Amino acid sequence: MSSRIKVLALLVALMFVALSTRLWFLQVLATTQFQREARANSVRFVYTEPLRGLMYDDRGRPLVENQESLEVRVNRDAMGNQAEAVVYRLARLLNVPVRVLVARLQDKRYYSFQPIPVAEFVQPRVRDYIAEYQELFPGVDVVPTSVRAYPQGRTAAHVLGYLGPIFASEYDKLKNKGYQQSDVIGRSGLEQVYERYLRGTQGIQKFIVNSNGETIRALGVKDPTAGDDLHLTIDLRIQRAAERQLREGLVRARAGTDSNHRPLLANAGAVIVMDAQTGAIKAMASLPNYDPRWLVQGLTKSEANYLYKSAAAPSLNRAIQLGYVPGSTFKPITGLAALKEGFATIGGYYPCDATYTHPGDTSGTVFNNWTTANLGMMTLSRAITISCDTVFDRFGSDFYTQYVQNQLSDSGLLLQNDLREFGFGTPTGIDLPSEGSGLVPDPAWAKTQPTLFPDGWVPGGDILTMIGSTYVMATPLQLAQAYSAIANGGHLCRPHVVDEVVAPDGTVVKRSQGRCSRTIPYPPSELAYIRGALGSVITSGTASCTFSGFPTSQVWVGGKTGTAERPPYQDTSWFAAMAGQNQNAPKYVVIAMIEQGGFGATGAAPIARHLIEDIYHLPDNGSGGCGGGDR
Amino acid sequence: MDMVAGRVWADERRPIRHVDWVLLLLTVALTAVGLLLLHSISATTPDEAAFWLVRVIKQGATAGFGLLVVVLIASFDYRFFKVYAGFIYLAALAALVLVKIPGIGATDPSGVAQRWFAIAGLQITPSEITKVCAIVMLAAILSEIRTPEPALADLARVLAVAAVPLVLVFLQPDIGTSIVLAAIAVGMLIVAGTRLKHLLVLTATGMVLIGLAFQVGVIQDFQRQRLTAFLDRANAPEDAKYNLDQSLIAVGSGGLLGRGYLKGTQTNLDYVPRQHTDFIFTVAGEEFGFVGAMFVLLLYALILWRAIRIATLSKDPFGTLVAAGIASMFAIQMFVNIGMVIGIMPITGIPLPFLSYGGSSILVSFAAIGMLESIHMRRFS
Repeated sequence: MSSRIKVLALLVALMFVALSTRLWFLQVLATTQFQREARANSVRFVYTEPLRGLMYDDRGRPLVENQESLEVRVNRDAMGNQAEAVVYRLARLLNVPVRVLVARLQDKRYYSFQPIPVAEFVQPRVRDYIAEYQELFPGVDVVPTSVRAYPQGRTAAHVLGYLGPIFASEYDKLKNKGYQQSDVIGRSGLEQVYERYLRGTQGIQKFIVNSNGETIRALGVKDPTAGDDLHLTIDLRIQRAAERQLREGLVRARAGTDSNHRPLLANAGAVIVMDAQTGAIKAMASLPNYDPRWLVQGLTKSEANYLYKSAAAPSLNRAIQLGYVPGSTFKPITGLAALKEGFATIGGYYPCDATYTHPGDTSGTVFNNWTTANLGMMTLSRAITISCDTVFDRFGSDFYTQYVQNQLSDSGLLLQNDLREFGFGTPTGIDLPSEGSGLVPDPAWAKTQPTLFPDGWVPGGDILTMIGSTYVMATPLQLAQAYSAIANGGHLCRPHVVDEVVAPDGTVVKRSQGRCSRTIPYPPSELAYIRGALGSVITSGTASCTFSGFPTSQVWVGGKTGTAERPPYQDTSWFAAMAGQNQNAPKYVVIAMIEQGGFGATGAAPIARHLIEDIYHLPDNGSGGCGGGDR
Repeated sequence: MDMVAGRVWADERRPIRHVDWVLLLLTVALTAVGLLLLHSISATTPDEAAFWLVRVIKQGATAGFGLLVVVLIASFDYRFFKVYAGFIYLAALAALVLVKIPGIGATDPSGVAQRWFAIAGLQITPSEITKVCAIVMLAAILSEIRTPEPALADLARVLAVAAVPLVLVFLQPDIGTSIVLAAIAVGMLIVAGTRLKHLLVLTATGMVLIGLAFQVGVIQDFQRQRLTAFLDRANAPEDAKYNLDQSLIAVGSGGLLGRGYLKGTQTNLDYVPRQHTDFIFTVAGEEFGFVGAMFVLLLYALILWRAIRIATLSKDPFGTLVAAGIASMFAIQMFVNIGMVIGIMPITGIPLPFLSYGGSSILVSFAAIGMLESIHMRRFS
């Protein structure tokens, strides 16, 4: 047997000889040729764009859809020796100058085998013509591509956002995530925040090409997956009503005049309707706005100028991106702070004098009430109802004194800490981009403003903040969050616009961002007391004229007017309201704000009233002709 | 005195003292090289990025489990396999039949072949297991032949036993494994002392049968084109030609010293299809060059040297034949696989032992090592 094993061993040895000889030939003798071939080899990738996810309102009504655009694409490789003639014919057909077409075809971002888009939204007749005379247009294709469609037009444009091209500067970061230079990306609103859900996954075709760029072989195909859909908390009906009421409110406000008898500009405004129990945004409007369809077709020069360069700043979402001086809408919140720190009590009475001076202040600073009359002693509730400044000025002094007694330490900044507990001074964390922080003025901030505060933090800082005046700033959304906390018994709910992110196969990928886990440290009795005061504002206070005839027996409404001075501009007009079946658990918080809109009661309050009427399907009971004068 | 000397002698003969450590070390070294190559493919190919850890870890874990299989099989006296050879053989045939029954066997993604069982997320390929089962069965029959040269009747019996699994595997269709089974049978017949005349007749018959298979159409067109692509590149089907071209470019561009680990463009850019399984040798060729390729060949040569040495050392014909069958199996797989990669053998789906990615292939190779160890450890008893 062992001799036969040697035969086997010999055969095996021959195998090694054969393999080694061949390897020697390939790797040593012929290697230069193979190395050349390896260099000539290359893989090219062609991507197919996925369908972007859609957006729906809280009842499934479409807000953002996709539509087909006929796009003309030119494959330079396939034009062959007819290139010049084809470009000339195509330019005539598309009615564009030849040199424009040539410039597009010389785009260095594309390989010669990649079709270059040269025109979109072409007429079907162009497609038909090219199909009929295909031999005149080698390499030219008219393909349907998917672009955004907005079935509701401008409605909720700021919330939905828009898509835009990728800039060269950010491409380096994005290409690792599979973006191409010719891709579009969410540039604002939900399109931006939920980009990674909406986008879907690209399909990839791999080709082997030789050094001439000619396709040798297709390597593999991966089909694209559509993006996830967004189901919003927005109620299309309420959103439309909010936008209509804001628009009409601005027009109405322009009929009024400021204290110098100049007509009010009422150039911009914002409205928010928020579910006070959950933080779900039911409507969010900001004017001036823009038409998102402009961005689908490609902005014209005048559209681009209006959108990005004009003073109107229509791309700005004023409901969340800018801080405004909140004026007297702040009083329910600072009033609660005064109750918490013991400067005010529910049963206490406080003087509503015509003027107020900080005790011991010798600088001559005098804080005026909105009326020169002395209104006598009143409760905190009454001070909110008629918006008495001097009652609150006094509490401001108390906060300042407390700060001094605490050796000027940060822990002694009770007012500022209380306001931050309410969410002021930091973004709420809503699922929309570029949210503003507002400003809670404090000694540290005062140090950065030496022209305003040459002597550092002074009593006036606390006194002005107490009445929501001059330096303190809040976004309409922060105010909505704080009022919701008063309405729902002390829960600071994170505002959110998206309820669910749903994958194409129907599985819920992500649930709402909303959480009401943060609480504010106020007993229910104090919050109920403040709600009662807000109810009185409607029935017997600063907004009683505006709400005259409103059926408060059917729908309970509480609210607070605000008129914030913004020299050299005209006053910011505010109304912060809550509405529901009863005072104990109001369902909605409604915030209305008009830039340069005059008094809160005459500018913003009617917007809130009519919007609440719309929400609850109440008839319009009028309320014209209320004068200003109060705050 | 005798008693003491006898005990020392008995202790000397305990199987555990005769483990072939060299063989074991070579096996581990080759497996480690395989993981290194697998990592190179998976870590740098963009498309495979998501799988790279999965693959390397899975293969590493399988190899670890394979070492346990070696220990388990080596601890059995290999002669038990002779006693149960019939059962082992029939079980393998049953698996080959069962895998063809719809609903039991799993179909590969192309939908053409039905070759494995999907059990607990693993692919169990019966044709792989059949190889060692056939070795055991053939060795059992051949070792019982008392004449120095097998008579014609014996040959007929052996050929019948070899032919049944071969045909079943061929019909799967798995031409690669059929070739391996044929080579195993030939290798074992040589060692069993078959007369040269008979071997020549057998070879001639085999040739005629293969020719017939081409003519009659048992071998389908797509298979034939792949099989002959290495002879006639000009008329080869596009994908076979592409595969071969890219494979040759990969190995050839490696040169004498290679392009460096993880630096092979053919490997990185995913030019070579099926690179982690059948074409894994291209990575060694491209990234480590002629020197690296020869090193891999050297490891195989040393393993085969140990296997043939074990066949020689075994005092028992069954052990000799099993070892010879295993040596034939490793040799033909290595030769056809690497030969395919470098264009001197037809393109067939034969995995490279210890290097190609795939659980069944790795485990069967380790099981074969376990059998070699069992024979080596008990060569005195």
